[in-house]
Amino acid sequence: MAFGVRLRVSGDYACFTRPEMKVERVSYDVMTPSAARGILEAIHWKPAIKWIVEEIRVLKPIRFQSIRRNEVGAKAPVTAIRKAMRSDDLGDLSLVVEDHRQQRAATVLANVDYVISARFELTPKADGSDNPGKHLDTFNRRTRKGQCFHQPCLGTREFPARFELIEPDAPLPTPETETPDLGFGTPRDLGFMLYDIDHGGDRSSLFFRATLDRGVMKVPPPDSPEIRR
Amino acid sequence: MSALAALVRAYDRMAARNEVPPFGYSIQNIGFLISLNADGSVAGKPVDLRSGEGNKRRARPLAVPQPVKRTSGIAPNFLWDKTAYVLGVTEGDGKRTAAEHQAFVKLHREWLVGHDDEGLVALLRFLDGWLPERFDEWDWPEEMKDQNIVFVLERQRLDDVFIHDRPAARELWATLSAGSGKNAEAICLVSGEKAPVARLHPAIKGVWGAQSSGASIVSFNLDAFTSYGHEQGDNAPISEASAFAYTTALNRFLERDSGHRIQIGDASTVFWADAGAPEAAENAEDFFAGLLGIDDEKIANRGVQDTLDKIRAGCATADVLTELPEGVRFHILGLAPNAARLSVRFYLEDDFGVIARRYLKHVERLRIEPPPREAVPSMWRMLVETAVLRKSENIQPNLAGEWLRAILSDTPYPLTLLSTLIMRLRADHDVNALRVAMLKAILTKNFRMEVPVALDTACTDQGYLLGRLFALYEQAQTIALGHGVNATIKDKYYGAASAQPRKVFHLLESGSANHLSKIGKQKPGLKVNLEKRIGAIMELMEPAKDPFPASLPDRSQALFGLGYYHQRNEFFRKADKSLPEEAAA
Repeated sequence: MAFGVRLRVSGDYACFTRPEMKVERVSYDVMTPSAARGILEAIHWKPAIKWIVEEIRVLKPIRFQSIRRNEVGAKAPVTAIRKAMRSDDLGDLSLVVEDHRQQRAATVLANVDYVISARFELTPKADGSDNPGKHLDTFNRRTRKGQCFHQPCLGTREFPARFELIEPDAPLPTPETETPDLGFGTPRDLGFMLYDIDHGGDRSSLFFRATLDRGVMKVPPPDSPEIRR
Repeated sequence: MSALAALVRAYDRMAARNEVPPFGYSIQNIGFLISLNADGSVAGKPVDLRSGEGNKRRARPLAVPQPVKRTSGIAPNFLWDKTAYVLGVTEGDGKRTAAEHQAFVKLHREWLVGHDDEGLVALLRFLDGWLPERFDEWDWPEEMKDQNIVFVLERQRLDDVFIHDRPAARELWATLSAGSGKNAEAICLVSGEKAPVARLHPAIKGVWGAQSSGASIVSFNLDAFTSYGHEQGDNAPISEASAFAYTTALNRFLERDSGHRIQIGDASTVFWADAGAPEAAENAEDFFAGLLGIDDEKIANRGVQDTLDKIRAGCATADVLTELPEGVRFHILGLAPNAARLSVRFYLEDDFGVIARRYLKHVERLRIEPPPREAVPSMWRMLVETAVLRKSENIQPNLAGEWLRAILSDTPYPLTLLSTLIMRLRADHDVNALRVAMLKAILTKNFRMEVPVALDTACTDQGYLLGRLFALYEQAQTIALGHGVNATIKDKYYGAASAQPRKVFHLLESGSANHLSKIGKQKPGLKVNLEKRIGAIMELMEPAKDPFPASLPDRSQALFGLGYYHQRNEFFRKADKSLPEEAAA
């Protein structure tokens, strides 16, 4: 693990929304790789690097809770924004909450704690001034100080994540209770899980078969055949 | 595994046993049958397929070609539909009935033309010759209007082979529904295979409170719900086959008498078992249905009653549970409607033994002396205790689902349950066994407190003691003034006494002195007895601590209710038993 990092993230709530139930939100049981990538990118990201999540370790029992909230059902259409930019008039862009209120239920995770193990690769955008050691140092330094570009979140923005670097020589934390729902005893099949959105291609969803074995969910590398595209 | 994937597996198992319609078909309630001769003429009056008596007649569920999803447009179904489409007649004012009938005829002309199957030809000839006026001319039954209609060939009528069941019709439907699958292919998130993605998913019917035409779990009915410019089903790629399978299985479970559903508060809950042997699965399902009290017969049959009785008598769960089916995965899914969509309140999947044990542990936690009147209070019976006026529509949304989830996953109960119960007690002063049992369960589970099952004269918790004391003051009042008092101290002071004892207890104390002296004039023995008991409670209070605190926290308020309940029932118990336990007091 030359350029690997391990980051412990925790929070009171989390919602890693399943795509099939994203209107009345239901969370996946475990953090998805793309959510983990989002957290890493919130702390340190440059066009020169690409984060690759290797595994996600679950430290707390998986517990759900359901909540109901008022949200809006509309979003500002791109065309209206373009028009506003052209005409320099913000008239049509307003959104009256009272008219678009939608009550939505969500089944979210409560009290979560994960360790994200990840590495990064240099992208073609890396130039002479970039080298892996520099970015690794930057990431570690920023994490130790608690710096981030924007507040990392656990799936959705309303659930902020606390983060903490696990120093390279420190041992990995283990789950406090070894329950069967974390895959102790027999590995637990989590079904197909969202791997990421194919941002380079047609923005379709990529999936992989996730299993939780002794509290660890292994994430296949990006070019692996395990990722269905 | 996700709920949808589990439902697809359940569908596969049912399909293997021929219990569900194949891909492209769905079970619909069909009211009437029109029997045709080969030349398209009608053979007699339409046959009523409904069963039952009077207003409760129920249409017959039949497997028919999958209906199109109708919202506001006109879209006929294939080979069957309601009378407005099939015959052009309807009960209502029917502004567009003619257009609907035209669409039905046009579609069938288009699709059936050139087929030489006897049934299809007969139907086509029937449609060619039909005029809506005939309905009245031929004096067809009025109640047929707005029912779903299917067709049959007269000679096959008694064999129950409908026109849509004929091999030629099935073949045609297979090509037609495949032809409509112009949808883009993508990876299905249920099966992981590349397949045409369902744009709209079939409707799910039978969720309590949802639209009667059905609602969807997977739907993107507003643009705020879509991402990355995807439309409808592309936001969550699910193949047509998977979408069909999960909705069919779910609809089947949601049927009224399926034995797989139970209504808990606002959550329509379905459950199913997954086991190698179908018998073990069935056993588990029946046991669970019995546990939650859906079906009295099942309770009697499966020995669930014995199990529950033993637990109520104080046996530990581990001793009772010896005959649970082994190796059965059990799934429980709670659905509640929300604006034409369905939301998943909870989804649990675990080994059946684990789930049953958790539920029985919950029953054990609810054990209280004296027990509630009902032998097996159902979840619903308990939930209405939290509702204003005991009306089920007043049960807090979300509470039922959260509660059942907590019970079945062995996590702390929702605390809204505690606050709601305390609020109900303060509002209507009805301290009954079910409410007290729930309070006790919450204290035991959430706060890991040792809570007495029956009257515990050694328990020194402040709330518990005050509750007992309050019950004794009430007794003194009842004995002194009889039962004719308009507002007893319970009616007047229960709320204040349980929440802010300091405010009212000195009032109660001085009042009780009057009551006691009145009792003393007629029954001196009873007065001494009551004074002794009040004294015994006072003795347990710690002098250093304020005996009547300014306020009680919610936990102590719960114990107040429990202490009151125990002490009050002790009083009643003594009345019918002649042996008083003076020594213990």
